[in-house]
Amino acid sequence: MNNISKFLFALALLTLPFACTDLEEDLVGEITTDIAIDGVSSGGGDTGGGALTAVYASLRDAGTANHGGYYATQELPSDEMLIAAKGGDWFDGGILIELHRHTYGANHAFINGTWAQTYSAINTCNEAANNSSLDANQIAQARALRAYYYWRLMDLYGNVKLITQPETDAQQSTREEVFNFVESELLDVLGVSAITSGMDLSNSPLSEDPNAYQINRYAALGILAKVYLNAEVYTGTPRWGEAAMASAAIMDSGLYQLCGDGCSVTNLGKRAAVASDPDELSGYAAVFAPNNEGNPEHIFTVNYDEVTGPNMNFSQMNLHYSSQFTWNLESQPWNGYATLEEFYNSYEDGDARKTANFIVGEQLDFGGSAVLDFASDDGNLVLNYNPNINELAPNSLREAGARPGKFSFKQFGRNNMDNDYPIVRLGDVYLTRAEAMGRMAGDWNAGLQFVNALRARAGVSEYASIDADEFLAERGREMFQEASRRTDLIRFGRYNDAWWEKPASESFRNIMPIPFDQIQAADPAFPLSQNPGY
Amino acid sequence: MKKLHARNLLAALFFLFFVMGSSYAQQRVSGTVYDGETNETLIGANVLVNGTTVGTITDIDGSFSINMPEGTNELVVSFAGYSEQVIAVDGRSNIDIRMAAGELLDEIVVVGYGSQSEKEITSSVVSLDAEDFNQGDISDPAQLLQGKVAGLQVYNRGGDPNGRSTIRLRGISTVGANVQPLVVIDGIIGGSLDNVDPNDIETINVLKDGSAAAIYGSRGSSGVIIVTTKKGSNSGEAKFSYNGQLVSASPFNSVAVLDGDAFVAAGGTDLGSRTNWTDEVTRNALSHLHGLAVTGGSGNTTYRISGNIRDVQGVLDNTGFQQFNTRLNLNTKALNDRLSIDFTSSYTNRDQQAGFDEALRYAVLYNPTAPVFGDDSPFPFNSDQFGGYFETLGLFDSFNPVSIIQQNRNDGKRREFNMGALFGYKISDGLTANFRIAQQQTDFSNVIYYPTTSNFNGNATSPLRKGLAQFYNQDIETDLYEGYLNYITDLGLGSLTLTGGYSYQQENFNDNFFQLGDFPNDDLDFSNAIETSQDLQNAGFIAANSNASPDAKIIAFFGRANLNIDDKLFVNASLRREGSTKLGADNRWGLFPALGVGVDLGRMMNLNGFDLFKVRLGYGVTGSLPGPSGLSQETRNIVNGDDGSVSTNKARAANPELKWEEKAETTLGIEVASGRFSGVLDLYTRDIDDFILLRNVDVAVFGVPQRYENVGALNTKGVELALNYDVVQNSNFNWNTGVVLSSYTTTLNEFVGDSIQVTGNLGAPGQNGTNMIRIAVGEEIGQIWGPVYDGVDDNGEPIFADLNGDGMRIGAADQALNPDADFQVLGNGLPDFELGWTNNITIGDWGINAFFRGAFGHSLVNTFRAFYEPRISTQSSYNFVTTELAVDGLTAARYSSLYVEKADFFMLDNLTISRGINLSGALDNARVSLTFRNPFILTSYTGTSPEPSLVDGGAEDNGQRLAGDGNVLAPGIERRNNFFNQRSITFGLNLNF
Repeated sequence: MNNISKFLFALALLTLPFACTDLEEDLVGEITTDIAIDGVSSGGGDTGGGALTAVYASLRDAGTANHGGYYATQELPSDEMLIAAKGGDWFDGGILIELHRHTYGANHAFINGTWAQTYSAINTCNEAANNSSLDANQIAQARALRAYYYWRLMDLYGNVKLITQPETDAQQSTREEVFNFVESELLDVLGVSAITSGMDLSNSPLSEDPNAYQINRYAALGILAKVYLNAEVYTGTPRWGEAAMASAAIMDSGLYQLCGDGCSVTNLGKRAAVASDPDELSGYAAVFAPNNEGNPEHIFTVNYDEVTGPNMNFSQMNLHYSSQFTWNLESQPWNGYATLEEFYNSYEDGDARKTANFIVGEQLDFGGSAVLDFASDDGNLVLNYNPNINELAPNSLREAGARPGKFSFKQFGRNNMDNDYPIVRLGDVYLTRAEAMGRMAGDWNAGLQFVNALRARAGVSEYASIDADEFLAERGREMFQEASRRTDLIRFGRYNDAWWEKPASESFRNIMPIPFDQIQAADPAFPLSQNPGY
Repeated sequence: MKKLHARNLLAALFFLFFVMGSSYAQQRVSGTVYDGETNETLIGANVLVNGTTVGTITDIDGSFSINMPEGTNELVVSFAGYSEQVIAVDGRSNIDIRMAAGELLDEIVVVGYGSQSEKEITSSVVSLDAEDFNQGDISDPAQLLQGKVAGLQVYNRGGDPNGRSTIRLRGISTVGANVQPLVVIDGIIGGSLDNVDPNDIETINVLKDGSAAAIYGSRGSSGVIIVTTKKGSNSGEAKFSYNGQLVSASPFNSVAVLDGDAFVAAGGTDLGSRTNWTDEVTRNALSHLHGLAVTGGSGNTTYRISGNIRDVQGVLDNTGFQQFNTRLNLNTKALNDRLSIDFTSSYTNRDQQAGFDEALRYAVLYNPTAPVFGDDSPFPFNSDQFGGYFETLGLFDSFNPVSIIQQNRNDGKRREFNMGALFGYKISDGLTANFRIAQQQTDFSNVIYYPTTSNFNGNATSPLRKGLAQFYNQDIETDLYEGYLNYITDLGLGSLTLTGGYSYQQENFNDNFFQLGDFPNDDLDFSNAIETSQDLQNAGFIAANSNASPDAKIIAFFGRANLNIDDKLFVNASLRREGSTKLGADNRWGLFPALGVGVDLGRMMNLNGFDLFKVRLGYGVTGSLPGPSGLSQETRNIVNGDDGSVSTNKARAANPELKWEEKAETTLGIEVASGRFSGVLDLYTRDIDDFILLRNVDVAVFGVPQRYENVGALNTKGVELALNYDVVQNSNFNWNTGVVLSSYTTTLNEFVGDSIQVTGNLGAPGQNGTNMIRIAVGEEIGQIWGPVYDGVDDNGEPIFADLNGDGMRIGAADQALNPDADFQVLGNGLPDFELGWTNNITIGDWGINAFFRGAFGHSLVNTFRAFYEPRISTQSSYNFVTTELAVDGLTAARYSSLYVEKADFFMLDNLTISRGINLSGALDNARVSLTFRNPFILTSYTGTSPEPSLVDGGAEDNGQRLAGDGNVLAPGIERRNNFFNQRSITFGLNLNF
């Protein structure tokens, strides 16, 4: 070959592998929509065993039992929980104080986070609800859970967008429109046109299987009962009768029992060296224990698991740093959430719920020795949870405040807890029924027997009679730490009251602001308008 | 400056051409043109038969061949920067011509896919060589340039030996990834500065504006840094050169805190000891560097082989690296000299001890009365649990700094191997085909190990799951293939150079991560203890992750034309069409044009007194690509059920319209030289559109709160000035001084959906949700935003000024965007102007190099003060920062103007005194030097370093380590994880033999 031929030949050899203008991107390293693992569903991509796995997992990702989302947004503006600023610690730009004092605004990180987490969960439900390869029961479960999320949004924000198909937009709905949607969706999956006494649920695609990790007919009824109980707040029209009848239908099913005498689980938090630690947790405490799976009171719960079901972090959120040594926790806690002293004192001594719900007093470690706080600010190294909180800010003592412990901690607990978290439980249904009956009758004693059933379980005397204030207080004692208090206070017209370190607030505070980030992010053709007052 | 020669040019641009004007040639003369000083050949020298129009230029070897018309005898040889020579042929057929340097040197500057004579360049290009580089203990090539190029910002923020410089050209050019300039090493696009030893660098050219960078298309927006490594020469015997340095460094400018006694007096908890924690974790660091290079060649082949060894210690205990680097450059010719082959390859093997900069952070805030060791504890303390160290248990975000740095390890190993070959084939006179093939491989692995006794991330307080090991490895392979033609011709009125070609680049990235812990003890080396980890028995504790990139390809077609009319008027135009896999399916291809015009007014108008008076105007469009792949596609998260079922939910929303970021830039430049004085002035404006950012989208619609979109536009306007003056010029004493000045302002012109926001969270403890930087459409980038401190109240809380006079003082962090709140701009994180001032003095054999630099007009949030200066009574177990700015009686930590400080500075960056020694015998010559780095700094800033913080690493707390990319929209925050700066003395020895 001559020189140029040699060169051109060499050039051809070099060029061939590269002569290309193909720019298709094959994302080999990531999970894409065309994932094709056998049995894996793409958010409901097929009918494999995991068709609804992501749907129910969305409850854990939606801030149900961790910091910064729905739980925090429901609990911290209420009179049952707060986070005090401890020196520089837990001031966080004042956002925790704002929740307590009802001065929150549209830029509040938790209010935005709750919105985003809830709509992400709705998107997962929408993917399943619109997946034609799912069966009618699966689609009904996805729709029921979506209705539950829209109830959360309606309860918090009032006027939100109703999106029922992934990647579609809609105009902002009024609170009443959202209420009507939630109601009709739940009625539809229950196979009835209205809640009536003796209604026939046999047309419902939902099952009667009492597995509390799935929405069955009674879970859907329980959600609907909550919606009706608050209907007057949302629409101005009370629906007490339907709330009472839905509750009655759950109780009459006979599938669920209050966890009372003889209902107990092993105490996984027991320290061998501490004789006063019981071997078992029974009754009320068992309903919320780390090993509460399958409790007869559970109608619909979030399946938290330290390995497969993360995002319940109460041990981190509530406990003092040094409490790590009481429960041998995987990580140092954060020393955040505590209970208001007044709320703690609303429990009488001997109330089993007081013991179950709070951690107070001097703390002992695993070996029975005092737990020390070497950075103690009260002159005493021993960690001693004092129900009295000296001040909200700036210098709350590090060990001030009774700590929420209803979802009790187990030894060697991980950052993610094991306790299942109830969305609908029979105790709540009792109270819903009692309240609806009382309000409908104009006599708070109309459903008193259901209140007294819970008091009896807690080992305190039964009421002879009750009024609205006492009912609210009793509901608070029972439902502590179940993210219900804000909604309850609003329904009772007490959310705007003054309480410790919180002045009276204006009524527009009963609806949270539409997050500023969301208003900015909305397509101008589908704008979000701000709620009044913000 | 040194002259650049043929061997430095990877892509040859100048080619032989004949003027076929004479048909009656009689005598043929050939020869080679050399630099008379270095004996390197000169490409493109003009050879003209005196008194005729018969001429040629020298080829890639510096050789020429010309037919002498009858009756002629003299050749006129000229080359820019050299004195013209007239040579009598006197019947010889072969003549070697040696050129002497002329008054004004015209440099050959490497630009994309070729090189140009400096005078022909119509864009803003700065060329630096070894004499211009910063001196001293430099292991990161970017530091060679710090302060030397107007408009190029290089900031290190601290003395971390394993840290990398932040490099910005004319401010931020993109908001997403790839804010660092594109690096081209010996023609290979996308090179890594990690694989270049500073000793091996011949020149660094910085393409500052869009008209020069447009030939690099979608990666040119952040500017281009072209590194040319040293080549061999065929001067006969092999030449050796040795460079050695011995460095002693110590920390300076740590954070001022109370000593133990003052801390107790201030109400701090007394734990009985008196410890200076900063002293406990820092040291006087000793480093040594050695480089040996050999150059030589014979016939058509030249070579240069170098090896460099660096053993560097950081001023923080147990930090440093050991690096071996070698480089081979081989240049040869084949096929009757028509084919030139330039081969380059380099290999770097680096072992690094990154250590834990958290040790410095906790050294600041740790109780100064705490003992180092548990045996000195004032109360019973089980120190065995903590490896003998004391720990303040029960306190958030507090770890014994000595334990952190002594017990734990964070060791990495990086291997880089690059090779490339450029084949140039002279098809005909003036036409050359070039083909480049190159490959770069990088392997990096890192092990972080916290023993069972480490409280810091080692879980020593836990009754089980003690100890943690994290393993990470990644490999990146980049293949480059390019083919292009160069053509040079004479149009009569001037010369025209054409370049056109095709470029294909593919990158593949893989990484793996896993971590586990719960070791029985630390008796075994952790790598052997892995198999005893109890995590292997417990579900869910082992964390593992792996990633593989798709084939990330960039494919381009490009062309360029350079026109030189009579050395007076210069026109350059280029066009690149380029596509990338990283963009949305609808927008993968982009077009990047550029045009530049330059006029040498001095030559055109015969201006007296000016050697050069050039005015140029350049316009160019460049782009930026996102760093990661796949941003335009939807991805899913795996969701596991406890029944073993697996499902997914949405992780990222697709955006098929995602396109490249586009920058259009116009630069007007004036270059003047007159006698001893020269200067360059650049004025520019650049518009950046469609920058890519993870932006908030309507979560109700997309199911995720954010996705990657082209969301906004920035404009930067700036001015750059470089002045140079030979103050003294005589045979025994020379003093040259040069100043570079630059200033720019960047404005946010558009931000879809987020027209106003605050970012830059201060963080824990207690100041989460406190965003300090305001970003708003129509406003400058870098505004530090907050309430104005206006005194302290009876509770010890700060009072904020009522700025709007409405009688309310609204300064809560989440009110930052409330128009009724009392917030204002407290400073700007970006400097108003930056200064570099170079002085080179030679007195006989002695040389003095003093380099000063400064930045003015910027502010920093001093976060150490914001957290630890207020005397918080309940926080009595953290030390207190104490500066002259501290306010008596302030006992609450709340971000405000109190912690925003002006950070103007002026410093002597380095001072080098050297002496050359002429030797006889085995050694040719030698040079010894002493370099002082950071000998003094003038600033009122009270933090660790007043250098601008161009990118924010984000908040970190309680032993968490930083992750993810920095936020370029939040400059101006000095975080608590800053590695303290160092001051060093370097003894250097250079031997040539």
